[in-house]
Amino acid sequence: MDPRIEDVELTGAAGPSPDYEVALVSLNQWQLAWRRFKKHRLALIGAGIFLGMVAIAIFGPLFVPYDPTFVPVPDSQFCPGSTTQLAYSGCPPFTPGHLLGTTGSLRLDLLTLVVNGARISLLIGLGASIFSAIIGTIVGGIAGYFGGWLDNLLMRIVDIMLSIPILFVIIIFAKIFGNGDWRVILIVFAIFGWQGIARLVRSLFLTLRTEVFVDAARAVGVSDLRIIFRHILPNAVSPIIVSTTLSVAGVIIGEAFVSFIGYGVNPALTPTWGNELTAAQDFISQGNWWWPLFPGLAIVLTVLGINFMGDGLRDALDPRSRE
Amino acid sequence: MLKYIVRRSLQAIPVLFGITVVCFMLMHLQPGNPADRFAQNPKITQAQIEAFKHRWGLDEPLPAQYCMWLGACGDKGVLNALPGGNLDIVGLTIALPGGDNGVLHGDFGYSIFDGQPVTTIIANRALPTIILALTAYVIWITIAFLAGVYAAVKRYGKFDSTLTIFNYVGYSLPTFWLGLMLIAFLSVPPLKIFPASGMWDARTVPIFGTGDYWVFVGAHPIDAFVDLGRHLVLPVLTLVLVSVAGDSRFIRSSMLDALSQDYVKTARAKGLSERRVIFRHALRNALLPVITNVGLEIPFLFSGAIATETIFSWPGMGRQFIESVGHNDYTVLMGILLITSVVVVFANLFADIMYAVVDPRVKYD
Repeated sequence: MDPRIEDVELTGAAGPSPDYEVALVSLNQWQLAWRRFKKHRLALIGAGIFLGMVAIAIFGPLFVPYDPTFVPVPDSQFCPGSTTQLAYSGCPPFTPGHLLGTTGSLRLDLLTLVVNGARISLLIGLGASIFSAIIGTIVGGIAGYFGGWLDNLLMRIVDIMLSIPILFVIIIFAKIFGNGDWRVILIVFAIFGWQGIARLVRSLFLTLRTEVFVDAARAVGVSDLRIIFRHILPNAVSPIIVSTTLSVAGVIIGEAFVSFIGYGVNPALTPTWGNELTAAQDFISQGNWWWPLFPGLAIVLTVLGINFMGDGLRDALDPRSRE
Repeated sequence: MLKYIVRRSLQAIPVLFGITVVCFMLMHLQPGNPADRFAQNPKITQAQIEAFKHRWGLDEPLPAQYCMWLGACGDKGVLNALPGGNLDIVGLTIALPGGDNGVLHGDFGYSIFDGQPVTTIIANRALPTIILALTAYVIWITIAFLAGVYAAVKRYGKFDSTLTIFNYVGYSLPTFWLGLMLIAFLSVPPLKIFPASGMWDARTVPIFGTGDYWVFVGAHPIDAFVDLGRHLVLPVLTLVLVSVAGDSRFIRSSMLDALSQDYVKTARAKGLSERRVIFRHALRNALLPVITNVGLEIPFLFSGAIATETIFSWPGMGRQFIESVGHNDYTVLMGILLITSVVVVFANLFADIMYAVVDPRVKYD
């Protein structure tokens, strides 16, 4: 069925009069998209998970009972309520006072770590994705609109950057800036994450620039920059939003891995889901499965939510892509 | 077609050149250099450190170093004129190779860390990576293919919805964390079934890749195979679980696309059996995008294995890469980066060519 017919709101019921009173409420593109998004069950669940994580990241640290760097004074060699579990190997979930258990070695509270880790992990994911969307849109837009040698040059740069393993670049930058500041990691992910969006935007612009409304704008003397950003870009914005959403998931996983191998965010300064896992590796052999489990579950849940949401957005913003 | 291949290959040259320049610059931008490991040793004098730096051309300006690595500076390069022998640094004798001709002459040079030829190091590490990646690749492509096609044929069935959920979850799992969890639950008591790390059991099997190892393989082929297999299970499982998700989803949608085409309706209208419609008409067309996608995944086999190799201490290229970063071993790093970029560039080309080969409608000029 034609989506325009489906999405028109019909009000008024069949009254006594044979002439039905039909009022057409016009909806703009975004209202239509929101209606389709609302019908997408998985997308709503995903958005719920994601917003929940954001809420935890913002408010959670105010409610958890410990400080993420607080090291409790050991009062016993064993975990509270146990006579066999060594506190040094970490206490399992549901230990009194520690719902998710504690880490090995420093005996930090895992719930506190996971909740505090949400802040920086999400901030890096969102921040880097938004930055790279902006860079990618500008570069891709310019390349696609102007074409010619500029397009060729920019796309070769994209090719080169896509061929260099991002992990290598991040490790190098982490070493250059040394201290594992999360802002550095965010910027590195932004600088080396825009190439995919640039290619996407370029291909959209290649088709859009041949549209009549672009010729019309040019004919009345609109400047190139204004055509790019005011005339063409609004038509290309849906795929950009979808791609940016999905890239948040990629950055969160990427940051986690880089921090895990010790070249990302410094665990002594800021806990993230990734760097909380680094030391956990050494305690797995001592039977401590809960330490690596919970920060990882937080990553999986967030990424799952974002992927649900991204797919819902794709269906909502671009009805043609629906299977 | 040949013209297209030649043109694309020629286009790859400036891209590869750009990659090496950028990597070389980045590598030297970072603080620290290969001589740093002597800094903590009180027995080593400043003069010896200078000698070490001079030996490797580290005291030259950056463009000159790059030129020497490339081998474009001919006889003027310091490295070419070097004799072999030992560099004697108190308490540490480092074997030095002879002349080094540069990459343009097919010579990747020697490791600054231990003096071995870079090609030898990479060759030793490439085999484990190929074993791991290829095993995983064959398994996951087979599973993804069967699952994707079946889900598409029985669309919205039970299997299809289960697969969709599995795909979402698999797609959201960080590879390294999945590896950690598999270790935590399958190689630690109470369920200590598979080894957590390494590629062979050091108590019973000689070091992989050495002459002794191959002698052992010759003498006890079954033991060697079982040992390798046991160590492969967890890393392969990690790669398969994560990768099946993306690929089966792709194959499913490609198959669905083919099933909705007019020629499938025509085939059904002609009264062909459903089996024949699916296998002869839909599947063959669904394979086109799949083949391209499979080609594009080849580079991932090399770079994507880094996380898996790190977690499972698998002695492959990914782990070598991380180790060399720690040692500031410029020559080995450049070698690995160059080889992976060549693989990336040519896998892209290969995918494009395959596309034209399997689909007569695609024409390049």
